Amino acid sequence: MSASLLNLSNVSAAYGKIEAVRQVSLEMQPGSIVTVIGANGAGKTTLLNAIMGVQPATGDMYFAGEDLSQMQIEARVANGLCLVPERRELFSSMSVEDNLILGAYRLGARAIATGLEEVFGRFARLKERRRQIAGTLSGGERQMLAMGRALMGQPRLLMLDEPSLGLAPRIVKDIFTIITDLRSSGVSILLVEQNARAALHVADYAYVMELGEITMQGHASQLSADPRVMESYLGLGGHG
Amino acid sequence: MNTTISLFLLQDGVINGAIYALLGVTLVLIFAVTRVIFVPQGELAAWGALTLAAFEAGHVPGTAPLLVLLGLCCVFSDMLRQRRGLNGKWFIERGLRDIAGPLALWALCIWLAPQKPALWLSVALTVSLIIPMGPMIYRLAFAPIADASVLTLFIAAIGVHFAFTGTGLLFFGAEGSRTTAFIAGVFPIGVLMVKGQSLVVLGLTIVSLIGLYIFFDKTLRGKALRATAVNRLGARLVGIPTQSTGRFAFALGAGLAALSGTMIGSLTTISYDSGFIISLKGFVAAIAAGLASYPLTVLAALGVGILESFSAFFASAFKEVIVFSLIIPMLVWRSLVVRHSDEEDE
Ligand SMILES: Nc1ncnc2c1ncn2[C@@H]1O[C@H](COP(=O)(O)OP(=O)(O)O)[C@@H](O)[C@H]1O
Ligand SMILES: [Mg+2]
Repeated sequence: MSASLLNLSNVSAAYGKIEAVRQVSLEMQPGSIVTVIGANGAGKTTLLNAIMGVQPATGDMYFAGEDLSQMQIEARVANGLCLVPERRELFSSMSVEDNLILGAYRLGARAIATGLEEVFGRFARLKERRRQIAGTLSGGERQMLAMGRALMGQPRLLMLDEPSLGLAPRIVKDIFTIITDLRSSGVSILLVEQNARAALHVADYAYVMELGEITMQGHASQLSADPRVMESYLGLGGHG
Repeated sequence: MNTTISLFLLQDGVINGAIYALLGVTLVLIFAVTRVIFVPQGELAAWGALTLAAFEAGHVPGTAPLLVLLGLCCVFSDMLRQRRGLNGKWFIERGLRDIAGPLALWALCIWLAPQKPALWLSVALTVSLIIPMGPMIYRLAFAPIADASVLTLFIAAIGVHFAFTGTGLLFFGAEGSRTTAFIAGVFPIGVLMVKGQSLVVLGLTIVSLIGLYIFFDKTLRGKALRATAVNRLGARLVGIPTQSTGRFAFALGAGLAALSGTMIGSLTTISYDSGFIISLKGFVAAIAAGLASYPLTVLAALGVGILESFSAFFASAFKEVIVFSLIIPMLVWRSLVVRHSDEEDE
């Protein structure tokens, strides 16, 4: 248990009376990709927000052995947690480069220089557009910028909320290639997706979320062979 | 009315406008970073003028003990709020920063004031007395409700404004003061007789605005402030501490307000309650620019200054009325052109 990177037990989060996340327990190992799949409204975003501290939650949350429950967002970031939110939350009136620089705000000048080099190496597109205002980027570029900004902060755990949302298939493929690349360079990834097929393809372990609860979990390859998952999330099997 | 008079009025207008620009830009800055409409800015400006006047007269300014009082309030309120984690280290840190620091400044004032310090030194002392008040106000009144709505923050700001007007009366008395000009004398430029003070005001304003521009455009700290203004959640997600960013914005705002105060002192008589009307004109400019654009705020402030000086000439009794009525067509115009800002959604 102490070896796991992230350990949630009985985490709940609510909006007023609506319990969006109920008694969720989840564990992930360092260096792995874990995915949470589920339909729209299942509570995936709320769960990530709870882990990041954006959304108040109850239950136990440990990150690399540290208790998250008393930590503000800033402290969680300093500990190596990083969320790429569903809405990206870029600094839209600032340049691509400034967005990236701010991703390493707490790390100082040297980390900014090496980080920029690394991110521009990974996302050539962002390098071309470094002077462009972030708000004028296309959807795919915005997602790349959001991921690049997150990487600038040298996270230990990168949480991606629907990185493929609203993107063209070719770009979705790029994004997932980048996700597997990131894992091989040592970043652990918690991936939330509606695109279950792609997510299960890259992930090591998977959870299925329905109406705020975890209903199934298992190795990604096992889950993608499970008839219930095939029917509900992979569009296979159909009507019996 | 002939050209000479219009040029003269124009000059007056530009000078006042420059000061309103500085105040307006500060309002935009503080609003962008913290969503606080900084009503008590006017008091800080008035205290700047009164502090400088005190130094000129060889008195210890009321701002010195006032800063100590504010420091005590901060430590006390932090103590009540924090409870846990109160230990020796905490008290030493806070005590040094919030109480010993202000006490040292006070002592410095007691020592220097009777010697009537040189003008630059007086200005420097004035600004350093008022800068720390910015973050203190933020910690006392705004940080605890940093996530509240703009309206709530605005009401808190009005509360601070009234508290400060009262405090100002207590510490400075009801007497108005005037300071001598930074540069005495008048310089003929063409047909115009330009006052030395006008040149100082214009020069300092331009230097401050350029300094702000460089700060926001080139430095990491400045970029972090802009980022907080553009997207608070995004800023928190990259680990920008929004509370210390807020304190920093207030420090910057207090410094600029104090600087404007030291410049206004020789243009008009300032008393404990004259700051409000002055900063209200900066506010008109900031509103005209939608509380969002720095260059537009500067332009609008110059407009306000010029309008004011011409209306003072033609209908002096209605001078303020004319300037403040300006805000109505401006609000109507803004409500038509700007789509409703969705600041409450997050
Ligand atoms: N800000 C909010 N206020 C109230 N209810 C919300 C809010 N955000 C999400 N919800 C509700 O919480 C549930 C889970 O939402 P969400 O976490 O966004 O799901 P997902 O990311 O899986 O689509 C949904 O029923 C949604 O309607
Ligand atoms: Mg979602």
